[in-house]
Order: sequence, then structure tokens, then C-alpha cells
Amino acid sequence: MIKAYVGATIYPISRAPIAGGVIVVRDGKIAAVGTAAEVPVPAGAETIDVHGKVILPGLVDAHAHVGLWGEWYGQASSDGNEGSNPITPEVRAIDAIWPEHSSFADARAGGVTTLQTTPGSGNAIGGEMIVVKTDTTGKTVEDIVLRWPSGMKAALGENVKRYYGQMLKRAPSTRMGAAALIRAALYKARDYERKLGLGKDDPSKLPDRDLGLEQLVRVLHREMPLRIHAHRADDIVTAVRLAEEFDLDYSIEHCTDGAVIADFLGRREAKVNLGPTFGHRSKIETRALHFRTAGILAAAGCKVSIISDHPFVAIDHLMVCAAMSCAEGMPEEDALRSVTLTPAETIGVADRVGSLDAGKDADFVVWSGHPFKVRSVAEAVYVAGQLVHTA
Amino acid sequence: MLAIKGGTILTAAKDLPARIEAGMILVDAGKIVAVGGPEMTVPAGAKVIDATGCVVTPGLIDAHSHIGIYEDGVGWEGEDANEATDPNTAEVRALDGINPGDSAYAEAREGGVTTVQVAPGSANIIGGEILVMKCQGTVVDDMVIRRPSGLKAALGENPKRVYGAQHKLPGTRMGSAAVMRAALTKARDYIRKQEAAADKPDKTVDRDLRLEMVCRVLRREIPLRVHAHRADDILTAIRIAEEFDIEISLEHATEGHKIAALIAAKGIPCAVGPSLYQRSKLETKDRTVKTAGVLANAGVKVALICDHPIVPQQWLRIAAGVCIREGMSETDALLACTRNPAEMCGVADRVGSLAPGMDADIVVWDGDPFEYLTKTKCVLIDGEVAHCAPEAVSAAASAAGCCCGGHSGRCC
Repeated sequence: MIKAYVGATIYPISRAPIAGGVIVVRDGKIAAVGTAAEVPVPAGAETIDVHGKVILPGLVDAHAHVGLWGEWYGQASSDGNEGSNPITPEVRAIDAIWPEHSSFADARAGGVTTLQTTPGSGNAIGGEMIVVKTDTTGKTVEDIVLRWPSGMKAALGENVKRYYGQMLKRAPSTRMGAAALIRAALYKARDYERKLGLGKDDPSKLPDRDLGLEQLVRVLHREMPLRIHAHRADDIVTAVRLAEEFDLDYSIEHCTDGAVIADFLGRREAKVNLGPTFGHRSKIETRALHFRTAGILAAAGCKVSIISDHPFVAIDHLMVCAAMSCAEGMPEEDALRSVTLTPAETIGVADRVGSLDAGKDADFVVWSGHPFKVRSVAEAVYVAGQLVHTA
Repeated sequence: MLAIKGGTILTAAKDLPARIEAGMILVDAGKIVAVGGPEMTVPAGAKVIDATGCVVTPGLIDAHSHIGIYEDGVGWEGEDANEATDPNTAEVRALDGINPGDSAYAEAREGGVTTVQVAPGSANIIGGEILVMKCQGTVVDDMVIRRPSGLKAALGENPKRVYGAQHKLPGTRMGSAAVMRAALTKARDYIRKQEAAADKPDKTVDRDLRLEMVCRVLRREIPLRVHAHRADDILTAIRIAEEFDIEISLEHATEGHKIAALIAAKGIPCAVGPSLYQRSKLETKDRTVKTAGVLANAGVKVALICDHPIVPQQWLRIAAGVCIREGMSETDALLACTRNPAEMCGVADRVGSLAPGMDADIVVWDGDPFEYLTKTKCVLIDGEVAHCAPEAVSAAASAAGCCCGGHSGRCC
């Protein structure tokens, strides 16, 4: 089955916008993208006239809790924080994702077709993350997985010390304590790896299996990044300190104070998953919340992805966050990239999604107009060439 | 005298054209003295704000906010909206909980919001006294333009969650309605006893500030403003209002679209929102950005609300924009954040439209106020510049003159 979408203004993200472009979709993949002159409509293709419309890649949200918690289900579906121990690298988002959770429908309605869903920030090390598509109808979580695991969640700052120190009266009760627990866990993983090495020659020396430490060994090997929740500038710097101490691949999640240390982060070309910004400043560590941060960090050289952190900002407004970041100084091109290709790169799925290029999945959104116009609506949302939402 | 000249004026006024191209607004002593078209000339000696290419609207009004009473970026210490120690706290006053130093006011002004109705939260069945204030000032008493402007009430999940968890009344929706009825009944008795004691000093009734506040609702001096998301909660609010012949407004009305015709027939105004927020609880499961438009199209008087901090105050214009996208007319959307909330809050004689005699609360936008990329160039409250775009400030520094023509002393 071949389909050709003809006539729209196409924003491939990986290249300049194309007026009156053509997208050819074959077997759920993009077969070709370009101007009408570059891309002839293949013989036998079904032609869909999308003149006057604007086509972008399906949006990618690098940090959300879709399917894990939030919405109206309350405690029955509150599965984001395994708040029984501050170090839980052994828990896995995949074991909690509920494909029928209404947040997936909201994601589709907002044009979001791929997202990384993650445990919360109640624990210093919170568990494994996963990247999924949002076309959940009639599917299991295994059907929608794009990358698993895609990262290990860690957290610094208020949440972890409030939950353990203040509520449960146990460690960590300070920022020092949270950093110490993460550091100790990573050293423990190194020791575990050393023992595994000893056991290669002498099986009697093999340590008992520890599924949590196994995951942290993967982090030490850079098979998956440590994704560290940090709002305040000092917490962000602690996150970088820890990551560099162990030579980890890492991303900074939230990065609310980022503008204060933009040079520090820019020098490192830090991967920043920025947000949620379309909400209120609910705690002291979010006092610097502002849409201008996105443009400042991008200009400094960071790899900025704008996130919803759903449910903290309803995921159907991810594009609104990009538009408001543009309103506050981020160039339009960067703002569109920050909800498509940059997050796809940061979460390790840019070979499949994030831009409209031949060979990638046919995940795209037909907008009624430019998405930074308030009256523009995501009229049709496609995942792997299948229509998954209509306005 | 100040003249705002050359902009497209959206008046939101009853007795003026809705839209005036290349218009002029004259401001003197904090009030609007004239609104007209290009035929008007700048009076001698008047300072000029050049609004050419801009859109000029009344300062926006949010009829349901917790700004100042739920402080921004502070956490627990700044949360003073819910005196959740008794399901009826009619005697508490938003006035006593508002911090005008909350940084959210500056952002509200930047977003073109100049007047807000600030209410206690929804933990209690009767939550306390509501007021209407301007978004500029340091002494809350001076910022208030109407107090009390209503008595806060709540049905649905919040009160039954708060008190049910403590095994106290109300633990159910039935209990919530019973608490509300009991409060109104007791206040009625209080009125009866006061009347009976009118000429008999020996029978003077002890003062009860809680009951006195509820009595003002019974006397229809102020409305009961009832937090109700679900359709059944809305209907309970209407049922009780009719039982006691009191005036109400519906706050949130998240499922209002399901019973729009009924609400319209009853003539009850709705403060709709925060529609941009997540479906955080069962009673907001069916939230849709379409609700405001459905209600307005059915003939209901609608105000759009942020419910700050649930949606930050400065995004009221974005809430309106998204409602337009989802089927609300542009006229209704503008009215829903200007004249309608002014009328619903009882302050339409002062704010909510651009007409002679009104407070000079005026916003100059650099484009369509409801577009994401639009910004306020200049915001006036009582004729004084309350916000000025940074670009205008730097322009002033380069001697190009700022948008307010040096009128304010605040930005240039």
C-alpha cells in the first residue's frame, strides 16, 4: 500500500521547510520526502490532497509519565514511584504501563507519537525508563516499545529528601545524602562487576545475581544513560559531578535553573530535557521557571528537548510549550526541533523517528496551519502510516 | 492626559462598536475619558502611546483565581487558600491571606491580566469570603475593588476527600449537600432571631461572623460561588440555590457542556476552567477545551478562568485562544475574559470594557492577543503603566522613546 500526501508545507526538521511538498508512505515507512519536482507520485499510489496544510513529524516527548500515573484514576493507577526504598534500579516502567490509560489518547490528540515514559523522582535512583509509541489502541506495551530500557532515572533536590527525610524519617534527608546514595550505588555496581569478572574463571566466586546492580552496570557501560532529575542550579551541577565521576552518559531532566549556568552546560553540550514550563512554580526548586530558558540553553550549545512531564503539563499541550518557548526567544527552527528530532536523539530513537526522512517510520501530523498559531489544530495524526487520531 | 493612538481597539463595550480601527483612547486621572476612531485628535499637551499596528483591549479579568493566596515558587509556606479545619469556614476572608508581594502579579500584568477575583480554595463546603482586586499594588486593601464579591462553596471530590479521610462529615456527596443546606438553614434562623430581637435589647443575639457571612448570601447581597465540576454536582448546586432562593455562579463547570441547555435556561453564569490542565481527578475526567464554547453558544454567560496557580495567571489569553480553536467565537472569547467576568464579579461599572468613565485598565498588544507569539507592549492599570515590554525599555535607552512616551516614569 503506497500513499502520497501532496501539496502541504512540510517541515522535515532535518532540512529546510518544503512548500508544496510530497511525502510518500510505503509499508508504514517514509519512502520519500521532497518537493513535487524531487518526488514524483509513484504509479498506483493513493494520492491524498493536503494543500494548505502543514505537515510535521509526530512529536517526541523525552520525559513524561504517560501510562504510569496521573489523570483521574488516582491511587489505582499511581505506579510512578516505588517509594519503599530510595534506590530501586531494579524496577521497570514496562511493568506498570497501562496502554488504555487516557493519557495516550491525549498524547495522540496533541500530535505526540513517541515518548519516553519514566518512573518518578521520589527515589534517588528510581528505575528503568522506556520509549514507546502512542498508538496503543488494541495493543500491549510490548507492541508499542521502541527502546527498552532507554535510561535509568535518578533524582536530586527536594522530592527525594522530602519523601524519605521529611515523611519517612530516613535517608536521604539532605542533598548530601541523596548524592551519597547514588554514588554508593554506582560504586556497588562497580564492585559487582569486578566480582562478576572474578567469577568468569572461578564460578564459585560468582556473586548472587542482583537485578538492580545489573542495571547499574549497564549504566556504567554507557549502554543506557543516567537521566537525572535536577531543578536547581546546584542540583544540576551535582548531577554533572556524579555523571563525570563515573564517566556516564547522562541527561539533565527538568533543568529549571539552567539559564543560571548556561555556559557550564553549554560547554558540555549537555542533553537537557527541559520542563514542565506551562505550569506553576509549585516548589522552591522551580522558582526560576520561565519559557525563556529554552532559548538561552539552546544558544549556549545545549541539546534542548522541551518536555511535558505529563501529567504536570497535559501532554496535549506539548506544542504549546514549544510555541511559548519561541515567543520567549528560541528561534522557531530550534523550538520545532526541540519537540521532534532533538528528543529523538536524546532518547536514542532518532534512527526511527523525529524527522521526516526516507527510511524513518511514517509518524507524522497534518496540522491545519502553522503549529505556532493558536488556531491550528492537529487534524490527522499518523503512526507508522496508520491514522491514529483525527480532530 | 494620555492618548493611546492608532491601534485596533476591541472595546468589549455594550454601547460602542466592538472594533474600532485606527482608534484613540483618551485617559485622564486614571479613567477613560473618550474612545473613538481616526476622526479624534490628540489634545494639546497629551502624552501619546503609539499603538499603530497594535491591538488594544481592556485589561483582562479572571473571575476565579488564587493569586497571592497560593504563592508562586514558595511551596507550603505560601499556601493560604484552604482553612481545611472545618467544612464551613464562611468567616475567613481571602483578604487576610493574600500576599501582594507574590511574584505572580507581575507575570499576570505581563500577560495583560489587570483584575482578578481571588477566592479561597475548595477543601471546604463553605470556604470563605471572595474579593475582586487589581493586579498592581503593595497593600492589598488598596488593591481591592469589591469585597466581598461572593462566598466560596464547593461540591464534589475535594471536600469529601479532605473530610472523609478524617472520618468526618462530609464523606459523601450527600454529606456535602447536607452541610451546605445546614449552613444556609442555620443562617436563616440567625436572621429570624435577629429580627425577633430587633426592638428588644435584652434579646440581642450574640454575633456570629460565620453566620453573618452566610446571611449576606441569603439576602442576595453576594452570590454563592459553587465549585462544581461534574454535571451531578452542578445540578446539586442549582437544586440548593433554588431551595434557598440565592444567587449562584458555577465555578469550573467542567461537565457544563453536558447540560448546557439547562444551565442556559436557569440563567446561571459559569466560570469555566482551568481547561488547559490535566484530568487530575475523576471529576475532571471529561474536561475538554470545547466546554466554554458549547456553553457560550447555548447562551450561558461564560468567563474563562485560569484557577491560578493551576494554570498560571498570565496564560488566560492562551486559554481563550485554545477555546477559539475549539469552537468559541472570537467575540465570545474576548468577552469571556473582559466584560463577562466583570459583570459576574459585580465590577462592570469600573472594568471589563473600554468606554468613557471606566478605569483606564488597558492593554496594548503587539498582535492578536490570543496568539502564542503575541506579547503585551504596554499594560495600564488606573492609567498608570503597570507593565512595559523590555524591548520598549531598551528602545527608551537608545533615546528612541518607549511605548508609553515617557508617561509612566516606570519604564523610561
